[in-house]
Amino acid sequence: MSVTAAGAGVPAVELRNITKYFAKVVANKDVSITVHPGEVVALLGENGAGKSTIMKILYGLYQKSSGEILIRGEKKEIKSPADAVANGIAMIQQHFSLVPTHTATENIILGNVKGHIDIKAYEQKIGAIAKKYGFDVPVDVPVGRLAVGQQQKIEILKALYLNTSILIMDEPTAVLTPQESDNLMQFIKDFVKQGNSIVFITHKMKEVMEVADRIVVMRTGVVAGTVNRTETDEKQLARMMIGEDIIPPERGDDRAYLENPVGLRIEDVCLSSKAGVLLDHVDLSVHNGEVFGIAGVSGNGQDDLCDVLCGLKKPDSGRVFFGDEDVTNLSIRKHNEAGLGYTPLDRYRDGMVMDMTLWENMLLKECFSEKWLKNGFIRKKALKDYTSEVIQKHRVKATGPDDVARSLSGGNQQKVVLAREVGIGSKLLVFNQPTRGLDMGAVDRIHHVIMEEKENGKAVLLISTELSEIFEICDRFAIMYKGRVMGVFKNGEITTEQIGLLMAGVKEAAE
Amino acid sequence: MKTRKTVTTVAFNVAAVLIGLIICALLLFFMKVDPGAVISKTMSKIIGDKYNMGEVLVKATPLILTSLAFAFTYQANLFNIGAQGQFYMGCIAAVSISLALGGKIPTLALILIVLVASFAAGAATGSFIGFAKSRFGANEFLVSMMSTYVVSAFMDYLLRTSLQETKAEYLQTDGIAKAAYLPKLIKGTRVHWGFIIAVAAAVLIWILLNKTGLGFRIRAVGMNHHAAELGGIRTGKVYVIAFAIAGGLAGLAGLTEINGVQHMLLRDFNASIGSYGIGIAILANGNPIGCIFASILFGFLNVVGTTMGRLPNTSIPASIIDLLEGIVMTCVIASYAARHAYEVHLEKKRTRKESV
Repeated sequence: MSVTAAGAGVPAVELRNITKYFAKVVANKDVSITVHPGEVVALLGENGAGKSTIMKILYGLYQKSSGEILIRGEKKEIKSPADAVANGIAMIQQHFSLVPTHTATENIILGNVKGHIDIKAYEQKIGAIAKKYGFDVPVDVPVGRLAVGQQQKIEILKALYLNTSILIMDEPTAVLTPQESDNLMQFIKDFVKQGNSIVFITHKMKEVMEVADRIVVMRTGVVAGTVNRTETDEKQLARMMIGEDIIPPERGDDRAYLENPVGLRIEDVCLSSKAGVLLDHVDLSVHNGEVFGIAGVSGNGQDDLCDVLCGLKKPDSGRVFFGDEDVTNLSIRKHNEAGLGYTPLDRYRDGMVMDMTLWENMLLKECFSEKWLKNGFIRKKALKDYTSEVIQKHRVKATGPDDVARSLSGGNQQKVVLAREVGIGSKLLVFNQPTRGLDMGAVDRIHHVIMEEKENGKAVLLISTELSEIFEICDRFAIMYKGRVMGVFKNGEITTEQIGLLMAGVKEAAE
Repeated sequence: MKTRKTVTTVAFNVAAVLIGLIICALLLFFMKVDPGAVISKTMSKIIGDKYNMGEVLVKATPLILTSLAFAFTYQANLFNIGAQGQFYMGCIAAVSISLALGGKIPTLALILIVLVASFAAGAATGSFIGFAKSRFGANEFLVSMMSTYVVSAFMDYLLRTSLQETKAEYLQTDGIAKAAYLPKLIKGTRVHWGFIIAVAAAVLIWILLNKTGLGFRIRAVGMNHHAAELGGIRTGKVYVIAFAIAGGLAGLAGLTEINGVQHMLLRDFNASIGSYGIGIAILANGNPIGCIFASILFGFLNVVGTTMGRLPNTSIPASIIDLLEGIVMTCVIASYAARHAYEVHLEKKRTRKESV
């Protein structure tokens, strides 16, 4: 392929009005993206904005529900990654697809060889490609022994070996050190210089500004805007990412809650896993009668913080207090008994037993408690009466306490979980994205309950990725980025723009 | 919704048993026997005969207990394939105590001691499996399956050494004293109090599962261990408890078979009641009360097979009993897969309707 100036001639890839449904959820709606030869296109957006989905459709991992894909001007149906590879498209997933006990060479030729393999010849061939791009990776060592950055190079080599001209990279720098990232950026520049194209999926604005020619910003499954790198700046991108139309509402300067005792104190909590640091010296306190929000792009440590607060994970260092009680090393049950109510993010997995009835689900967190047990036997009648009360009070659409949880809609299930947790959480309530994916009626009800509990003087921690939700009901909020608290603010104190920058890890912006 | 599920289960099971019986009838046909005549002759021999009717209950008794041993852990989404081994441990406990104390203390006291001991011996074996799972993440399916081989080797060793009969001729123990026998329940049959013990165990297990906090925790872990864990339930502990109780139930069959039927322990004793227990539990869909009826059905099949094999003037081999039980069991297990596929199909249809 001859070298073409970016933006000219036949586009390498053209996605026209692609829509993708997963059961009831729209993952992509009317997404159109064009990639020219010799161009780096960045797909920027929050987790869950639909960036990976649209690229997985291009790579044949998902099938589009409607729309068209054109490769070099020709309409194509891409039914599998094999079709994509045949069209010169390769995708490097966030999680590598390498066999750790195989060498680089073996990994690269995997699936493309038959019969007797002359491994030396392949090693030379692959070594030559590596040399051409300045990749310094051993071709005869099991990849499991190599650093992550080198493994990624092998993934790239795999794509190059298949004569790829359109390379998709999903969050390629997430696992890299800064030096490795720099090397990657250099490769990207070299690769497109030869007339190839790269689509770069990320939520980091710094990288976007460094290598992208054009930036496609996605939000909630649609393209929020397409801009040239030279014509934009980080502020504009941040606004596009989080939506421009949210303005913090005016609030009365009611700071009475600050006089109340502290209901939740998180002192210098650190947590890490094999993958890296999850929580980085988190320090927060929530007063009784206060709704404290945690904003941030999802996957920046919010879920890990919840795991620590509910006792599922023990922090590496630091302490957690409910009121004056140190709960850091207590069991989950003791956390619950200390007055914690917690609605986890994944209701299906962690919140309910879907094949049990509603009254059984109400019992779930108190199945040791004398409240519902008498000599080890369940007080079924009392429990059912209580469940009926909850159904009525929270307007749960259910025929009665004997309904199986699975038969309810998501919003009604969440109301049941919420009611249970509010009942158990006598001191502290932790909500992890309680309104995610729910209809407006259910959202309203849930916000109403949260405000009620605030009035009752409980300390409330609300994790949300929706700024509008944070603005609507929080007194103060913190912004988390990569397990770090980027700052604690009173509601209305800083602008959406500043928040967006903090969410993207740009610290100076807020000052 | 719940009733629809029950209807599906019953329908599939009845169909499976019928298909199994039809296949057996076909086999008889190929043996150049008239199935109709043989079946009617066999039935009249069983139904008209008090002793044979009693045998149905005698055969059902240990099956109720071993099927409960599978059904109980199944509620915690665990597979206990080792009921045979747990049963053998119960047998060892029962025969040792009966040999040592039989005739020396009152029958009731002895039976109570054996009851506790055989339960405890099975429970110890079972809880080891649960412990291996919760502590080391071992696969309970494999561990429980292999534990049977370990226990039978251990039993063989005892039968060669300390427990071997006085004559030291065969791999078996001496007979236990008459005073250690489980009393007869119905005169003129072999039915003993063990049947009542097994039925009571099934009822108690049903109550435990459905009415108590412990049973609730076991079911919660079985249906969604993530949510159970966040509810403060320690899943590892539940694994150990569930396996201990299941093992204990299989161990109780040691009491009913040693003190109730065989009155001694021998090599390869009742070698298939563990595996039949699994099929019966599946037939009962894991329901403890269902286990009683499914076990009686298999007790009945066993007696049918025995009677058929003994019919005069026919060429039916004695092994018809294994054929009969084996074929019906295969059909039941196949129906489990078919039922699952059918339910998935329904679920798919339902979600598709909702998403339109």
